[in-house]
Amino acid sequence: MGSALENFVNQVRTMSASGSFRELADDLPESVSLLARNWSILDNVLETLDVQQHTLGVLYVLLAKLHSAATANPEPVQIIQLMRDFVHRNNVEQLRFAICAFYETCHLFTDYLVQKNLSILGIKIMARAVDQIRQIDSQLTPIHADLCLLSLKAKNFNLVLTYLDGDITDISTAAAECKTQQQQQSQHTVDANNDAKYFLLFYYYGGMIYTAVKDYDRALYFFEVCITTPAMAMSHIMLEAYKKFLMVSLIVEGNIAFIPKNTQVIGRFMKPMASHYHDLVNVYANSSSEELRILILKYSEAFTRDSNMGLAKQVATSLYKRNIKRLTKTFLTLSLSDVASRVQLSGAAEAERYILNMIKSGEIYASINQKDGMVLFKDDPEKYNSPDMFLNVQTNITQVLDLVKQINKMEEEIILNPMYVKKALGSQEDDLTSQHPKTYSGDPTD
Amino acid sequence: MPVLPMPPLMQNAIEPMQVDAPPNEDNENNEEQQIVVENPSIDLEVYANQYNGIVRLHRLMYVADVCPVLAVEALKMAITYVQTTYNVNLYQLLHKRLSDLNASNAPAPPAPAADLAPVPAAALPDIAAVPAAIALPPLAQGQAAGEKDSFAYDAVWVDTKMKKAALKLEKLDSDLKNYKSNSIKESIRRGHDDLADHYLSCGDLTNALKCYSRARDYCTSGKHVVNMCLNVIKVSIYLQNWVHVMSYISKAESTPDFAEGSKEANAQVHTRLECAAGLAELQQKKYKVAAKHFLNANFDHCEFPEMISTNNVAVYGGLCALATFDRPELKRLVIASTSFKLFLELEPQLRDIIFKFYESKYASCLTLLDEIRDNLLVDMYIAPHVSTLYTKIRNRALIQYFSPYMSADMHKMAMAFNSSVGDLENEVMQLILDGQIQARIDSHNKILYAKEADQRNSTFERALVLGKKYQRHTRMLVLRAAMLKSHIHVKSVTREGSSNHGAELCVSAGSTTTAQLARM
Repeated sequence: MGSALENFVNQVRTMSASGSFRELADDLPESVSLLARNWSILDNVLETLDVQQHTLGVLYVLLAKLHSAATANPEPVQIIQLMRDFVHRNNVEQLRFAICAFYETCHLFTDYLVQKNLSILGIKIMARAVDQIRQIDSQLTPIHADLCLLSLKAKNFNLVLTYLDGDITDISTAAAECKTQQQQQSQHTVDANNDAKYFLLFYYYGGMIYTAVKDYDRALYFFEVCITTPAMAMSHIMLEAYKKFLMVSLIVEGNIAFIPKNTQVIGRFMKPMASHYHDLVNVYANSSSEELRILILKYSEAFTRDSNMGLAKQVATSLYKRNIKRLTKTFLTLSLSDVASRVQLSGAAEAERYILNMIKSGEIYASINQKDGMVLFKDDPEKYNSPDMFLNVQTNITQVLDLVKQINKMEEEIILNPMYVKKALGSQEDDLTSQHPKTYSGDPTD
Repeated sequence: MPVLPMPPLMQNAIEPMQVDAPPNEDNENNEEQQIVVENPSIDLEVYANQYNGIVRLHRLMYVADVCPVLAVEALKMAITYVQTTYNVNLYQLLHKRLSDLNASNAPAPPAPAADLAPVPAAALPDIAAVPAAIALPPLAQGQAAGEKDSFAYDAVWVDTKMKKAALKLEKLDSDLKNYKSNSIKESIRRGHDDLADHYLSCGDLTNALKCYSRARDYCTSGKHVVNMCLNVIKVSIYLQNWVHVMSYISKAESTPDFAEGSKEANAQVHTRLECAAGLAELQQKKYKVAAKHFLNANFDHCEFPEMISTNNVAVYGGLCALATFDRPELKRLVIASTSFKLFLELEPQLRDIIFKFYESKYASCLTLLDEIRDNLLVDMYIAPHVSTLYTKIRNRALIQYFSPYMSADMHKMAMAFNSSVGDLENEVMQLILDGQIQARIDSHNKILYAKEADQRNSTFERALVLGKKYQRHTRMLVLRAAMLKSHIHVKSVTREGSSNHGAELCVSAGSTTTAQLARM
């Protein structure tokens, strides 16, 4: 048993020492199976390697360990400890030569934790991993999805929200990384699809996280990204995202205002598969809470199966609120019992509770006169003349200007692209259409 | 549609029905599915006599469909009339309906054996007697049993008619072939037209349309083209193919001779086209355009009972105008229009309604409208639109009523609109939500207050919302650029790399997509 593993250790040590990391990274994938076969003595191997100096070697040992986790059944604490050590002490320069392997290690690690129900322990490790591997703050990596999954499983969102709140301007994909590292051709197709998968998962999980913290606007944005991803085939991630998109859209806007046109798959595949949800949308449009309640009850099995029941209940609540809001637009005064009957709530007390909550959260402006049981609806007191409002407008303007700057920068990049220049100068050749600026014009704005 | 001098018969028709006001309310709710008219006050005879040919049959059948009270009478009149044509199929159909109807509600009809006996004798005289039969006053229920045999199924008539029709068809066909071999354009055109006329008489609308359209290739003058268009329009109306109607109207209007010729000479054609256009637009729910078309009709040249009656023009035009025109338009195009005034004279009730509306006497206007509702519902063209048009008229009235006020007492308002405060509140609420009335309701004191819009605030609000939207779109755009740059793309794969990461990629795209994937 010894000789092969000794060879491995020696190879790692000599090549790391001589700084020929690229060659090492190219050679190592072949030894994964060897390492995995000898899972029982990998700990010995690890002892001979130093995380800082032999990052690549340790990475592959870890990978092998996770690969064999099913058979080896190691102590979870030990694995977590190893991962934590690794992400804290590794050498990023070396790591860059084997990004693919690192991604894979992270995915396996996440799966392992989810299986063992220890998700909460992995959040910090994954966050650190993301910090390490991304080149700029606005870069999306496949392991973002892992971080989201762990947070979602652990129901702990504080850390992940900082990652979600930032905008993504660049995407690191396993396919691209692997290409630069000249890996085996066979893996490419799978990787390319996995990229899409992790991208979708990130936005799907992200949407769910935002839904969980009730930031529905942002959730809608995430789901929308998910369903507008270019697609030739339908992904189930997109389907689930589409279902949630419909519901969140009802909560936020009260209707399905806008389904971007660049989503051929929605019409073809998703609509028939999400018919329950379309029924929900249609009934919601009638503004009748009673009908909606009946419908939700009728489809409760389907909603529970999709684990969307909670969201469905939120939709029902939002309809009550929306109806109350409609009343504020049409009435100056209204008795509580009238409110209850118009909104189809069970009674004045419940109406009062809803209105109270809505006043508290600033959704409506009203006061309740308990003596007569009347509600006095008021206008929005915001007169747009306070310093706060000024600041708000100011920050909004700054944000918009920043965005414009960014767009300009991107345009500049395209203009400076030799391929573009060639095209623009009138060459009629149709090579490499993917570089053509037209590719970028499939935007959601128009 | 009732005509001015009301025959005594009609009053009889009204009397027993006046009790039926409450059921009407129900009708309003389920009109969409099935219109059932309880107490129309029309004189079927007069009504039917306004029309010729297929339209008359269609209308009578529609009446029979929606109005159980008049069903038997309508069917009988239709049977009488259909016997003047070659339309054997319809005859059989009508008879089946009649016997179904009799079986279901009337006491059992006399034994069929009795019917069979007089048939041979009655067969020939029947055809000859048709004009007389039309002239007969409509039969009251009691008499029906006595004169049963004149409406009995006449197998001999059916046979002879079928034979005659076949003979005539053969003759026309061979004539046409003859003309064709001689290749005289004018004759061929006529041949086609004759053949089409015959098909029409047999009730074969599709073939009639085909033949009329074929004549197109043999038209030698503009007049012929217009004529052909009119024929096609007529049949298309029967077929309810409104898109077709519209396209042939524009074809006719763009025919050079028609456009250049003197207005006077073409007035009739012009009016006919306007009416057809109005009808088509009405059916496509474009009420305003329909109203304008009807208003353009010229009373003196409005004589085409095979399509639409003058009363119809008045009612359709008047109602659509009321529902869609604003006050100045109503004044200028309807009330002050000399030509349309003549139409309105035919429908005094509608004239009153329009005038009352214009004088802001909404209560009486709405009452009158409710009175004529049942009569409108037996009209096959306007019936599906009655409730929409009525709602529009009512809403328009509400908006006009409130427009000059800062605040209005809802009790008084309810009085002016013949409704309870509660109902009115709901109606007004709907209008406010639709943005048609800028107001808010003080439900406590039942007062409606006009709302003054603060331009500055709403501008701020809109600007902020728009800014947020812009940011969202731009972010998505940037992200999408990144997405395309790194070739993120969901595509078909064979199911192999199944990792247990939540959902898997599912593939259901056809193989057609794979070609595009090649470049990835």
